[in-house]
Amino acid sequence: MIWETAVLVGVLFGSAVFLLLRPTFARILFGFILLSNAANVLVLAMSARPNGKGAPVVLPGGAPPVDPLPQALVLTAIVIGFGITCYLVILLYRIFLDQRTTHAEQLFAETGASGPREEAES
Amino acid sequence: MNANVAILPILVPMVTALLVLLLGRPSPLRRWLVGLSAVAQVAVALGLVAFTYGEGALVLGLGGWSAPFGIVLVIDLLAAIMLSLGAITTLATLLFGFAELPHLEEHPLRLPLVQFLVVGINLSFCTGDLFNLFVAFEVMLISSYALLTLEADDWDVKQAFPYLALNLVGSTLFLAGAGLAYGIFGTLNFAEIAQRSSLLVEDPRVTLLAFLLLVVFGIKAGLFPLYYWLPNSYPILPSPVAALYAGMLTKVGVYVLLRIFGQVFPPELFSVHTTLAWLAAATMLFGVLGAVSRNFIRGILSFHILSQIGYMVLAIGLFTEYAIGAAIFYVIHHIIVKATLFMVGGVAVVINRSDDLEKTGGLWAVAPILGIVFLLQALSLAGLPPLSGFWGKYMIIAEGVRQGRWVLVAIALLAGVLTLFSMLKIWNGAFWRSGAGVPLKTGDRRWKPMTAVTVGMTLLSLGIGLGAEFILQIAQEAARQLVDRAGYIERLLGTMGGVSA
Repeated sequence: MIWETAVLVGVLFGSAVFLLLRPTFARILFGFILLSNAANVLVLAMSARPNGKGAPVVLPGGAPPVDPLPQALVLTAIVIGFGITCYLVILLYRIFLDQRTTHAEQLFAETGASGPREEAES
Repeated sequence: MNANVAILPILVPMVTALLVLLLGRPSPLRRWLVGLSAVAQVAVALGLVAFTYGEGALVLGLGGWSAPFGIVLVIDLLAAIMLSLGAITTLATLLFGFAELPHLEEHPLRLPLVQFLVVGINLSFCTGDLFNLFVAFEVMLISSYALLTLEADDWDVKQAFPYLALNLVGSTLFLAGAGLAYGIFGTLNFAEIAQRSSLLVEDPRVTLLAFLLLVVFGIKAGLFPLYYWLPNSYPILPSPVAALYAGMLTKVGVYVLLRIFGQVFPPELFSVHTTLAWLAAATMLFGVLGAVSRNFIRGILSFHILSQIGYMVLAIGLFTEYAIGAAIFYVIHHIIVKATLFMVGGVAVVINRSDDLEKTGGLWAVAPILGIVFLLQALSLAGLPPLSGFWGKYMIIAEGVRQGRWVLVAIALLAGVLTLFSMLKIWNGAFWRSGAGVPLKTGDRRWKPMTAVTVGMTLLSLGIGLGAEFILQIAQEAARQLVDRAGYIERLLGTMGGVSA
């Protein structure tokens, strides 16, 4: 199991990085979703080899349970990742509404860097 | 002192945030509530400094679960110092914000989000557990994402994207790092990791994990190749919030570098420390060059944050108890000075309508007090004696000379000169030049109370410079507590008889 997991984590991280480096918003978004799931699978794999082990409940005479802590950690991480993904979707949508583009290169094309800030009110 | 006090730095801002949310619309009552809560937080934090200076770390096992099985909050002197700096900066920036905007114009979510941000910052200072640190970072970052885009206009909002993108990658790598740490050490508790990692110094996995965490915290602190998110995103914030960000957020990264590499990971990881020192030198140089290239006050100041981060991380990279004490002193100096300078920039925007150095001018004639405040803090940042920045730089450079790291010392000195140069650029453009591009808004009375806040912070900073002996004593004691691994492990796991499987 551990080799398959390692390859899976590698593929997930690799494709996530590839998608993140694309310029369009949709690919970047999917890149983040893949990236956070890659990290989740990695943390889950730290429960060690699950072969022949029982669920993490203590039963009399039951098999030794898997380490439950990584599962607890992953639950927390999934919730946090979900929240941040929602935020990212909204931010990208707002940038699309304001700037009328879904292409990161066009987004930063004109000025490159942030210019000075004017105070707008009277 | 009752160990339950350790929860207060997290509980007080959280309860405040919830109460403020319940109160709904902006009102003077909300402001009083937040202001009083900020004063209470300063009092609690200073009390914790006094306690931990004498008695050592305060440990609270949450829910009655003792370390290493439960989550622990550990407040040692370093954490208490950071808590007080955070509380003081929050108080000052809140007052500054109250002076800047009448309560009817305030965004209803700004105050609660600032309080949630403080919860995250304080939790990262107090936690004694790697995964809990991840959660604290997320609390802090999510609040900071929300604050960043809350009041941003159409043009500005795209600058939030690099901030979000780089920090998301950082968070994911942190999660992976925490998972790998659990895989290697079988624990996430700082004290137990310290105990077990010292047995695994030779293990290349520990070094790799250290480098992974270096990348993670390097992103948070704004180290050299990883700082792209910072200089363009801070100027889009409203000036009181920008001052809080400038003071605290990157310093959380520096604090965690101190905690993880100074205490949790074994001191024999020389490759990591050398990397830290060189990255710090690069950060210093590129940060200050970026500052020289910018032409508006907040842009210059944002790049200066990076350059100053370089000094602190250089001190961590030199890695002796003295150098770590110097880093802590530098953090104390820097947070106060940087927040004040951002607030001065905010006042300049009010009077000049802009902080573009092409358009500003004439501030010296209108507001000489603001000029004095700026001059004192800018010279302190550049490191002129007897201001607070001098002592921090002096100690770091003295330690570099003692270790014979001449190139690093030369870069640090060069960065100091260039800091002075770019500060003079602000001075000439905004204060000294008589003809402003646009008429000054001298009728605007808001700047007086705003300036009063910056004067208060400047007095504090002058106190740090003139009372350097006293502050240094505290910083050195904090460094002693930090590098005393055996004492830390004993404190945390002592109730377990100091043994673990």
